[in-house]
Amino acid sequence: MEYFIQQLINGITLGGMYALIALGYTMVYGVIQLINFAHGEFFAAGGYVGAIALGYFSGIGYMDSHPVICLTASFAMAMAYCAYLAIGVEKIAYKPLRKESRLAALLSALGMSIFLSNGMMLTQGVYDKVYPSELFQGRFDFGMVTISYLQIMIVSLTACLLIGLNLLVFRTKIGMAMRATAQDKTMSALVAIGSNRIISLTFAIGAGLAAAAGIMYGLYYGSVRYDMGFVPGIKAFAAAVLGGIGNITGAMIGGLIIGMVEIFGAGYISGEYKDVFAFIILIAVLYFKPNGIMGENIDDTRV
Amino acid sequence: MKKRILSIMAMGLILVPFLFATVSAKTLKIGSMSPLTGPYASDGTDIKNGVWTAIKVFEEAGGMPGYDKIEFFPQDTACDPRQAVAAANKLLNHGVVGVVGAYCSSSTIPSSEVLDEESIPMITPASTHQDVTDRGLEYMFRMCGRDDDQAPAAAKFMKEALGAKTMFIVDDKTTYSQGLADGVEKASKALGIKILGHEHVNQGDKDFSAILTMAKQKNADVFYMSLQGYSPAAMMTLQAKRLGLKSQIVTQDAVFQPKYMEVAKAASEGVYLTYGFTDPTTPEYKAFEERYVPKYGKIAAYATYAYDSATALLKAIKAAGSTEPAKIKAQLLKLDYQGVAKRVKFRANGDSGSSYIAFKVVGDEFVPYWEPANGLIK
Repeated sequence: MEYFIQQLINGITLGGMYALIALGYTMVYGVIQLINFAHGEFFAAGGYVGAIALGYFSGIGYMDSHPVICLTASFAMAMAYCAYLAIGVEKIAYKPLRKESRLAALLSALGMSIFLSNGMMLTQGVYDKVYPSELFQGRFDFGMVTISYLQIMIVSLTACLLIGLNLLVFRTKIGMAMRATAQDKTMSALVAIGSNRIISLTFAIGAGLAAAAGIMYGLYYGSVRYDMGFVPGIKAFAAAVLGGIGNITGAMIGGLIIGMVEIFGAGYISGEYKDVFAFIILIAVLYFKPNGIMGENIDDTRV
Repeated sequence: MKKRILSIMAMGLILVPFLFATVSAKTLKIGSMSPLTGPYASDGTDIKNGVWTAIKVFEEAGGMPGYDKIEFFPQDTACDPRQAVAAANKLLNHGVVGVVGAYCSSSTIPSSEVLDEESIPMITPASTHQDVTDRGLEYMFRMCGRDDDQAPAAAKFMKEALGAKTMFIVDDKTTYSQGLADGVEKASKALGIKILGHEHVNQGDKDFSAILTMAKQKNADVFYMSLQGYSPAAMMTLQAKRLGLKSQIVTQDAVFQPKYMEVAKAASEGVYLTYGFTDPTTPEYKAFEERYVPKYGKIAAYATYAYDSATALLKAIKAAGSTEPAKIKAQLLKLDYQGVAKRVKFRANGDSGSSYIAFKVVGDEFVPYWEPANGLIK
């Protein structure tokens, strides 16, 4: 039982990070029907900005005196940077192709992904960039079950971001505009919603969430590297598809499921096939529900 | 028909530069193969730097008679068997007379077949899997030790120095790490250590929480971590300590890299690992240190072995007075001198002997802790 609970906690931590990345895929898909393969790179870029910022703060000694302020500032910087990066990428690589076939934009996304990841390699080097990991090193022990401060921080921050996003999309005017654009660009334009602005905003929000996941990832695993966006990016994409691509709630659920299946597969069956289990679930679900768990065409929840 | 002739001529023209590349003399060409990108880039760069230092030192000491200069071709294998074979072919095209490399056993084994076909001597500074020299290749040499020596040494260390009765093993399924983990399992069983589990992770994994939870539940005396490179090892150590794993962590030569402590920080304190013994008091080592440290920083992992490999190769070519493979090989086998990492003396099968001891991580240093013959070092 304790073993099960411990694995559950591990699964939630990992799944939460996948969910944050998956949201970016699903939101962009909801609005312009594009699989943004460069999304994993926003995640990696966020991890790097976090590493640089936290490294700077701990270098000048601020880290010990004001850890919370430093962390908040790092999150804000990384999220803002990646939001702007995503807006730029959209303007350069996707907007000119919006009228072309979807395949053209998809290829452009793949190219952008390679460009960004190599850009990070050239500017930041091939080595792991280390996070100052004195932060949140403690843990609670309940018998055999261990919860580290870091896990608590990651899970609660993920929950806050997910709730915040839900409020934004379903309770505000901007959210309504996003949903309207997702449903019908022409109609929403007729009621004075600027679709370009909304698309930029969608990219920015998705990349901001990915950047937050990037910092958490760096804190949790201790370091970041230029190619770290690839594997989590693919997993998060699978999560988005599993939940029903285009559907926000679906992406959150999909991310958690992929994370859990991976951990439980590794913990109960075999560690070497953990990726296989995640994708078996994906295939099985898509076989019975081709539109994913939540379905992609529930217009209310699509963004 | 005309078209075909034309195209054959065109293809011939494409090959011309390669012909000239191999024919042009006066420069001696040496290649190296190691991962310069990817997760093992730092170990690979150490190897490149080691070879580079060896060439510089050799040139300053008079260089190679009959040649104006020595040209160095470092190739990136990325620890990927396919890329390693491509790198070996590239070196053949450059016309190198000898190669130092590769790092990962899974790269060394396939690429050595390519080089051996053309009779190019290859000295690996870092690949410890037994099959590297056990396949009976004519021109394969090894400067580092063998895993079938490392595994019994590690098992003996865990039994005698740590008093281990139970063990949990993890490897990442590469030729090197799995081969070593299997060897350790076998050697430990022979010494009466009970194996509570032997699990595998994938190369490139970052999240080890599921496996570590399993290890924590089994609560073995020793957690043997056989991973390819310091980077996954550092992540696993961090996560293990965070999860509250009480088992003593023991690992292997691929983790012998100061960056391990840089990433894992306090979590790495007290971790043991096995690595070849190098006497840091020899004049050869001190000379290398003076030369290497100001330029590249702390001596790490396989830089010393790469230096020795390149020096051995250059010495053999000089003694042979020719770049004919058979003559180089004969001279390599005759070598017997004190190198930086160890005493260089090859055996007929290409090995140069192992000298595994256990190190302990204290602060940001690897401190020699135990040797198989005499036990604890103090």
